[in-house]
Amino acid sequence: MAVLGSDSRRWSGLLLIFVFLCSFITPVVTVKHENFKKCDQSGFCKRNRAYADAALSTSSWQAPYSLDPASIKFDNGMLTGSVVKTIVNTAETVRLPLTIAFYESGTARVTLDEERRQKGDIVLRHDSKAKKQRYNEAEKWAIVGGTTLSQGAATSKGAEKGTTNISYGPAGTFEAVIRHSPFGIDFKRNGETQIQFNNRGLLNVEHWRPKVEKPVEEKKEGEEAVVGESAKDTEEDEGTWWDESFGGSTDSKPKGPEAVALDISFPNYQHVFGVAEHAGPLSLKETRGGDGKYSEPYRLYNSDVFEYEMDSPMTLYGAIPFMQAQKKDSTVGVFWLNAAETWIDITKSSSSTNPLSLGIGSKITTNTHWISESGLLDVFIFLGPKPQDVVGAYTELTGYTQLPQQFAIAYHQCRWNYVTDEDVRDVDRKFDKNRIPYDVIWLDIEYTEGKKYFTWDPDTFANPLGMEKQLDEHERKLVAIIDPHIKNEGNYPVVDELKSKDLAVHNKDGNIYEGWCWPGSSHWVDCFNPAAHTWWKSLFRYDKFKGTAKNTWIWNDMNEPSVFNGPETTMPKDNLHHGGWEHRDVHNINGMTFQNATYHAILARDKEEDKANVRPFVLTRSFYSGSQRLGAMWTGDNQAAWPHLEASIPMLLSMGISGFPFAGADVGGFFGNPSKELLTRWYQAGAFYPFFRGHAHIDTRRREPYLAGEPYTQIITQALRLRYSLLPAWYTAFHEAHTNGAPILRPNYYVHPGDEKGFAIDDQFYVGSTGLLAKPVTTEGADGVDIYLADKEKYFDYFDYWMYEGPTTVSLAASLDTIPLLMQGGHIIPRRDRPRRSSGLMRYDPFTLVVVIGNSGDAEGTLYLDDGESFDYEEGAFIHRRFEYKSATSTLMSEDLAAASASPSRKTKDYLKAMEKVRVEKVIVVGAPESWKSKKEVEVSEELAGKSSGTKSAELEWHGKEEGKAAWAVVRDPGIQIGAGWKISFA
Amino acid sequence: MSSTMKSTVALLCLQCAAAVRAANGEGSRPRGVSPEFAKFYKDTTAFTCISNPLIKLPVNRINDDYCDCPDGSDEPGTSACAHLSPLSPHTPADVGPNGANSTLALPGFYCKNRGHVPTYVPFTNVNDGICDYDLCCDGSEEWEHVGGVKCEDKCQQIGKEWKKVDEVRQKSLGNAGRKRKELVAEAKRKRKEVEDRLQTLGTEIEGSELKVKQLENELAEVERREKGKVVKAGEQKVGKLGMLVGLARQRTEELRETLEKTRGERDSSRNRLAELESLLTAFKDEYNPNFNDEGVKRAVRAWEDYAARDKGLAPDAAHDRDLDAMIKSDKDNGLDWEEYKEGETSDDGVSYAFLNYLPSPVGSFLDQKLRDLRVTMIESGILADTSSSSSESKAVTDARNRLEAARKDLESSRKSNDEHKEDLNKDFGPDDVFRSLKGQCVSTDSGEYTYELCFMERTTQKPKKGGGHTNMGNYETMEIITVDDDVPADGKGLGSGQRIAMKYGGGQGCWNGPNRATTVVLGCAENNEVWKIMEEEKCIYRMEVGTPAVCEGVYGGGQAQSGRDEL
Repeated sequence: MAVLGSDSRRWSGLLLIFVFLCSFITPVVTVKHENFKKCDQSGFCKRNRAYADAALSTSSWQAPYSLDPASIKFDNGMLTGSVVKTIVNTAETVRLPLTIAFYESGTARVTLDEERRQKGDIVLRHDSKAKKQRYNEAEKWAIVGGTTLSQGAATSKGAEKGTTNISYGPAGTFEAVIRHSPFGIDFKRNGETQIQFNNRGLLNVEHWRPKVEKPVEEKKEGEEAVVGESAKDTEEDEGTWWDESFGGSTDSKPKGPEAVALDISFPNYQHVFGVAEHAGPLSLKETRGGDGKYSEPYRLYNSDVFEYEMDSPMTLYGAIPFMQAQKKDSTVGVFWLNAAETWIDITKSSSSTNPLSLGIGSKITTNTHWISESGLLDVFIFLGPKPQDVVGAYTELTGYTQLPQQFAIAYHQCRWNYVTDEDVRDVDRKFDKNRIPYDVIWLDIEYTEGKKYFTWDPDTFANPLGMEKQLDEHERKLVAIIDPHIKNEGNYPVVDELKSKDLAVHNKDGNIYEGWCWPGSSHWVDCFNPAAHTWWKSLFRYDKFKGTAKNTWIWNDMNEPSVFNGPETTMPKDNLHHGGWEHRDVHNINGMTFQNATYHAILARDKEEDKANVRPFVLTRSFYSGSQRLGAMWTGDNQAAWPHLEASIPMLLSMGISGFPFAGADVGGFFGNPSKELLTRWYQAGAFYPFFRGHAHIDTRRREPYLAGEPYTQIITQALRLRYSLLPAWYTAFHEAHTNGAPILRPNYYVHPGDEKGFAIDDQFYVGSTGLLAKPVTTEGADGVDIYLADKEKYFDYFDYWMYEGPTTVSLAASLDTIPLLMQGGHIIPRRDRPRRSSGLMRYDPFTLVVVIGNSGDAEGTLYLDDGESFDYEEGAFIHRRFEYKSATSTLMSEDLAAASASPSRKTKDYLKAMEKVRVEKVIVVGAPESWKSKKEVEVSEELAGKSSGTKSAELEWHGKEEGKAAWAVVRDPGIQIGAGWKISFA
Repeated sequence: MSSTMKSTVALLCLQCAAAVRAANGEGSRPRGVSPEFAKFYKDTTAFTCISNPLIKLPVNRINDDYCDCPDGSDEPGTSACAHLSPLSPHTPADVGPNGANSTLALPGFYCKNRGHVPTYVPFTNVNDGICDYDLCCDGSEEWEHVGGVKCEDKCQQIGKEWKKVDEVRQKSLGNAGRKRKELVAEAKRKRKEVEDRLQTLGTEIEGSELKVKQLENELAEVERREKGKVVKAGEQKVGKLGMLVGLARQRTEELRETLEKTRGERDSSRNRLAELESLLTAFKDEYNPNFNDEGVKRAVRAWEDYAARDKGLAPDAAHDRDLDAMIKSDKDNGLDWEEYKEGETSDDGVSYAFLNYLPSPVGSFLDQKLRDLRVTMIESGILADTSSSSSESKAVTDARNRLEAARKDLESSRKSNDEHKEDLNKDFGPDDVFRSLKGQCVSTDSGEYTYELCFMERTTQKPKKGGGHTNMGNYETMEIITVDDDVPADGKGLGSGQRIAMKYGGGQGCWNGPNRATTVVLGCAENNEVWKIMEEEKCIYRMEVGTPAVCEGVYGGGQAQSGRDEL
């Protein structure tokens, strides 16, 4: 020891300093990286990245795929043919059947299969019982419409030699230029290339091959196996072809390597968005390393990621393999229909037409590389040109978001866990006592007896029906959790039936799969199985799930599925689902099938038992393209930390443009205790989440809004009441999403696709078509925010009518009690201002219309209204109005949109009758013209029962401009029905 | 809005309402106006907003379901002004010219509730389609029948039921009041007991102090005397073997004691180890491998390694039997020290025997002088002090022991005195009332546990299925907290206002959580009982407890003062 001398002292000194410094770094809980794979730990990702590296490192790369010209047939909007893959350095070829479909909607679809697998002409290893085909049922779950083949699509004349050209789309302005060899496709709009397939030659379909046992060469310890250059050229690296191990479990891979990969380029597009769900910026980053870029590809492999990290391409709970590319005035997109583990590399390259231009006029092209472990190569192509065209076409295929019940878009109070039924009642009473509105209270897993779903803990929830009755007194709801893992325990009828009916997921040997989750040893219901689906439906009947009532709804958690002792916290990939599909093939769809079963179970419960035609409410954590049809999602287990509040906004924006706008993040943060400031700011942000739920981990302190203390409770209550007063606007936005897939939270690029400066903005958003522009405060101690105004338009502060004029960036003061919220000129916003205990109790309240006059002097807005709970709206029981203020005539009119969308039925009449007393009590005009200064009244005429009533007058109150604040006017009680046609003349 | 309303609502009582009703002609008031505010609505030509006298409105604007007054006073019977509250977001066009600081002038919609007690209903609840019978038994707040709702007048029935319950409650409260008096009397008695005891202790202490002094003198005297002795008992007279036996005996005794103690410690450690191992086994089985942190995983792995290693020595019955035998007294083992003990001779007899041959006065004089001389010589260092050797004379030891005992007595008396004094100064709540409850326990069943409160001592959670009890906190302090709760029909609730809360803290620690703690909030009731037990958050409990001890005074149960103040 003595020899260490002074050196050691110096080192220990440094060590001390280091330890000292470390103690200053707040210990941050972060994701357990070792639990999740990186690309090079996922064999197929590693192989395809290497393939890309090899291809891109040489200019002479020839992709070994060509379309056999003789095989091409085009008929009725559908091209078929055969792509031939030449196996490297051999004469062997593999035939890949190709179809390219052109739909009426202007969407095209390219599908590549593999002939041998298709025919079942392969041998599986390990005596596997898995199905031999590539998974071809993703569309069965994801696609619900928009696949009518185009009659107008036609082969174009004058195609270059070696290509086949098909023109399609609106007025034939789209064109697919199919290159035969190497096989590739350019998609053009108006003659300009928008999307390119296999332009970089990374197309790769891993064909089936038998495993050839080779003599294993002895490797000397510490030495890498040296492969001769020549061997490298002729042989692929087989290292990851067969059985693969990770984290102590081995995937038997009975079908060997079977990945599909393709490069998709977006020439001259600077930004790509989508491929939700990731915790990162809306505008996707490059993934091949470099300053501020990721070095891992974006990954889609639905996982229960514990304490997920910010700004990461890491996979999360759900997957929507839909990507949009954006350049000035043009949006295009692709949808990669594949349910297996998928990785997406993104790089951008800049090209300049003139080398002397010094970057000016240089164009950025975004290149993407899609890699899936198995299944078909199946891609949909959307050519825009507007953001809504792309989102609309995608949602036409995968379905529009469910039109939720009104309560579902009001405030939800959740906690893991309200511990007794009396606890629930107490929270319910305290909300009322504190005059805080809420609609739904939630129960996490602890309500069950020993984590057995469909049971209640007899000690703590002895009287669930009594609890539900109390909630129902104020039209409130209960949401109870039901997860897909079924406790493997004796005397539990649910697991007995699951086993005896053989409805669970099987392991690779065909036996019922057993894993660990909340209840300990569990089995997983296989909702891919129609019989399981039927059985699941039976479980929710009131006589089966005793203790539930009509106001009980369901929360599906852990449906990735989360398996505590499984690889990457999920199921082994070689597990088998109904029909012999391997889990690897269907993994990303699994969560959706579970929510789907629950949705239909609730639908059946209400239809069969109540004869009630009500819309189910099911929240899911895991999702896939199409889940939007079934209910809401939330962003999973976030943390009570400012970065998580901040990240929630781009994450929800991303969900919105991905066709699944009914999304929210846990308000307050799931893990940890938020400071009161953070909690308050989170409620202010949460008031703008389409799905608005406060939630907390079991180890955290209680944080119901009434516990925050003043001034916090009051400020939080204001935020909640703001949400409630704007419910008519939110509901209208949901209806729009339900009709055309439009996002509810709209990022700048979506609203202003011509404004390049705003493409990457993801911390502010517009609410539906209301013109409301919000930028929630997401940083600690902030007393203001800067809001970017993209257009030449007037914007007014929602709370004091301060006037701004775009395009510019404006600073808004935002003390703790203020939400930065602007109204864009030109809109009419419907509100209901009377505070009530729940949204159900606002049903017959009068409306306030806020007319926001902008630069044109005109304004317009819509209102959609129905009973907020049943499917009667499908039979015409709704009110849909368009309000328009025209400066030319100085009139505000209400015009019927319902008649245009549905023919009136008896239900229409009944609904209108029920709503006939509901009136517009107030019209507020922000930015009111100076010319009204001396006006004291306006003329009102109403059209009732098709007849015009006489003209009456209503009082007008006008207030002039004050130091930066706009002039405004109020029409006092015009006495008009919300569901009728009317006209108010300000002339 | 809310605070004004609450306080006004709380003040409302049967008598004043009835008095005002008699004074004002009924029926002339607009809907929702209480007699208290009737005067503002008398003018038949115009209405003046109550807090904004500059704003005058035509009377047909009263209750026309449009909010005109910035204080909402033109809409006493509708929900049109319900948004005038600091709890609502505001824009210039909602609050009128006076800005967002508007407060509602009225406490709420006035329900006459004929046959029962009149109340105010929050404006937010007017015409929302829900019959708020708990507040408005006549259903008058749903006068517009939105969505077809009809709230029939249930005041007769509700009033009757309420009266019945109220009678019981009043009776019970009467009893509670009496019981409290008893408790206070009991507390007084207990206090008296303490005071008496203090007095006794005072006397005892004085006596003990005297005794100690006396014994100190005695010891000094004995010591002095002993020092004078030429020859010491013990080693002088006992032969080497005897000494050895004495030492051996002492040593054996020591070893036996130590062995016994060590064995006790071993057993208790063994038990603790077993308990710990079973805890860890359960921990390993029950922990969530996905949802716990690396620390937990490491702990589990370490435990697995530990459990896999060999177990060390299992408890060996034979070994224990050996130990048992060893611990038995030597006599039981066939060794009688007494047999080896040699006869002891009094040194007095030997050393000074010659004195016996002298006449007794001379003898005693000489003796005295000799001793004094010796002591002087010893004290001046001329003569070696043989008495300071390890073995003290029995006389000195006895004297010392007597002194020690007396000192101990004194010490314990003083301690007891301090304790009693402290007890006397301790906060036992108003009227010292909790003095009589201290140590009394009440319990209730909730879920799989029985929860017990021992007043001013501790709270405990006991599994019904058996197993260890969990300490949920030891008594720390008494506080005043504000509660705002409903009181159920049976009166078993805290009501609104300030209440005494007892804090129990530092209970058993929680995995991933704090030490358990309980806040016990007290409300007035006839009997001591736990009304409610809630785990407000992980390992933080709240008990609502009824006791007659708080049935009077500022912090009493609200229901003691007025019947329906919760409304």
